[in-house]
Amino acid sequence: MSESTMPAESFGRTVIGRAPRAAARRRGGVSFAPRWTRALKSVVVVLAAVFFLLPIAYLAMVSFMRPDDILSDRVVPSGLSWQNWSSAFDRFPVADYLRNSLIVAAAAMVIALLIAIPANYAMARLRAGGKNIMTVIVSAYVAPPIVAIVPLFILVRKVGLMDSLVGLSLVEGLMVVPVAIWLLDDFFRNVPEEIDEAAQIDGCGPIATLVRVVLPLVAPGVVAVGIVSFILVYNDFLIPLMLSYSESTQTLPVGISLMQGGREVMYGQMAAASFTGMIPVYLLALFMQRWLIGGLTQGSVK
Amino acid sequence: MTTAAPVPASADGPRRHRLIGWALIAPALAAVAIIAAYPLVYTVLVSFSKSTLGRPFQSWVGWGQIVTAFTDGGQLASILRSLEFAVPAAVLSVVIGLVIALSLDTATRGGRVVRVIMLLPLMTPPVMAGVIWKLMFAPTGGLFNDVLAGAGLVTEPVLFLGASPAAMICLIVVDIWQWTPFCVLLIFAALQSMPREVYEAAQVDGAGVWRTFRSVTFPLVLPSLVTVLMLKVIVSFKVFDLVFVMTSGGPGLDTNVASFNVYRTALQQFDLGAAGAQTIAFIVLVTIVVLPIATWRSRLLKAGSRA
Repeated sequence: MSESTMPAESFGRTVIGRAPRAAARRRGGVSFAPRWTRALKSVVVVLAAVFFLLPIAYLAMVSFMRPDDILSDRVVPSGLSWQNWSSAFDRFPVADYLRNSLIVAAAAMVIALLIAIPANYAMARLRAGGKNIMTVIVSAYVAPPIVAIVPLFILVRKVGLMDSLVGLSLVEGLMVVPVAIWLLDDFFRNVPEEIDEAAQIDGCGPIATLVRVVLPLVAPGVVAVGIVSFILVYNDFLIPLMLSYSESTQTLPVGISLMQGGREVMYGQMAAASFTGMIPVYLLALFMQRWLIGGLTQGSVK
Repeated sequence: MTTAAPVPASADGPRRHRLIGWALIAPALAAVAIIAAYPLVYTVLVSFSKSTLGRPFQSWVGWGQIVTAFTDGGQLASILRSLEFAVPAAVLSVVIGLVIALSLDTATRGGRVVRVIMLLPLMTPPVMAGVIWKLMFAPTGGLFNDVLAGAGLVTEPVLFLGASPAAMICLIVVDIWQWTPFCVLLIFAALQSMPREVYEAAQVDGAGVWRTFRSVTFPLVLPSLVTVLMLKVIVSFKVFDLVFVMTSGGPGLDTNVASFNVYRTALQQFDLGAAGAQTIAFIVLVTIVVLPIATWRSRLLKAGSRA
């Protein structure tokens, strides 16, 4: 991971989300492209926007369609109604599912960051773990989660944390630790070592240096990686499917996957429940996009 | 303590730092031990034993289950299903992602809007993505069948998720919808980091658009593309949610990818031993596919840093 094809872009990389805009003007390099390429690019971008947006718009529309409209072969509904939304929340504990999802995602994010941050500091500055430690940690993420799920199921059952939000949050938190460490690595390595040295000359030990000096500098990275961790856990399905079986602990993806079990076709209600679950992550995407893009691109392409 | 970590001046400093370093990294190592090392050891042990979900490790059975996982037609087929899903899904996402990334210009308002739109599929929980597309593919009331019937192209509803090989293709389409944005973001970031001078040089040399792409852009962005491909293959092998929601492995065993097969063996047939053996066969496959890509990637990166 240490080889870099990018120029060492100093400290400014932590605001990567904003950088491309300025960079596009500065470098871009395609401004001299002939008119037909520009037209082609516009077509590609419009097609892409339609492809990515259409399914979400369709889900929103289905959630407001009358049940008999959904099953008819009309594409445009004859009218809109709230019926699916109210019956989704009345007949299914959608609100409870959502609450569980948010609690588990937030708790797991905190657990992952609390474990990852000291580890990142130790790896970047104290040379802890040696050269290959990152490979070991990242390879824990490469293995498909199905590999870990049965042994973890047995372990969680043994320690008596089955079907509890605590057990679920713990396992999810541990599962995102490797990703969090991997994504945070660059942020820590981009802090100039002179800053540490100055802090230590002022009498700070390694831990005080981490907390008082380094942490404020990597805060943008911590926020970005925190958001990514939150979303990874919030969206997860396999682990909550295995570790929870009652409505008081099931997360929204698990709850929704169970809605299709019955004989009745409940497209409208499933659409409403699904949309409910998508709103929190979409809000994160809209309001935190700078951080999110920074967190996603950090560490991956280097 | 007047020494800086990297340049220790006293004999006491480095040892203390090493101790503190290990203490700080210990929780992370414990996490890796719990989520990766322990499951791996457990999986290996369990695959040599007769084990059920209720009573693991009843007796040792030797190599039998492992041999079955590698030779039994049905079990091998599910491993190959994963390959059939992961490779096209990954390659297409990267290719489409490259095309979009090349077309995207975030210096314009439209480009920035599209970048936000693209975040949405990526953020969508996979279970919900499965629900969305299941509704669109549905035989009665689904968008595609409504449109096809409305245009008079079909008289009978098309069973997108109930026919072979349509079901697998549909799963790949959904995966592309969800993950292409990830590829676009990473490839776009890589394109942005390329020096403007090489384009200018190419322009001065009179190179056209295609020529510039082929001999300047593509070689420069290739290491990043291979990195993204590697990540995408890894992600695609994890697929479980889409299969669970959209096809349950069907029709027949057509979309019964390895993750889903292991899940069924362990949680529906309660046969932990066989599930463990299938898991090992699956890990071997993932390694066989990912390792060459990883090697290719590090070779490209090395060549890049030498140039």
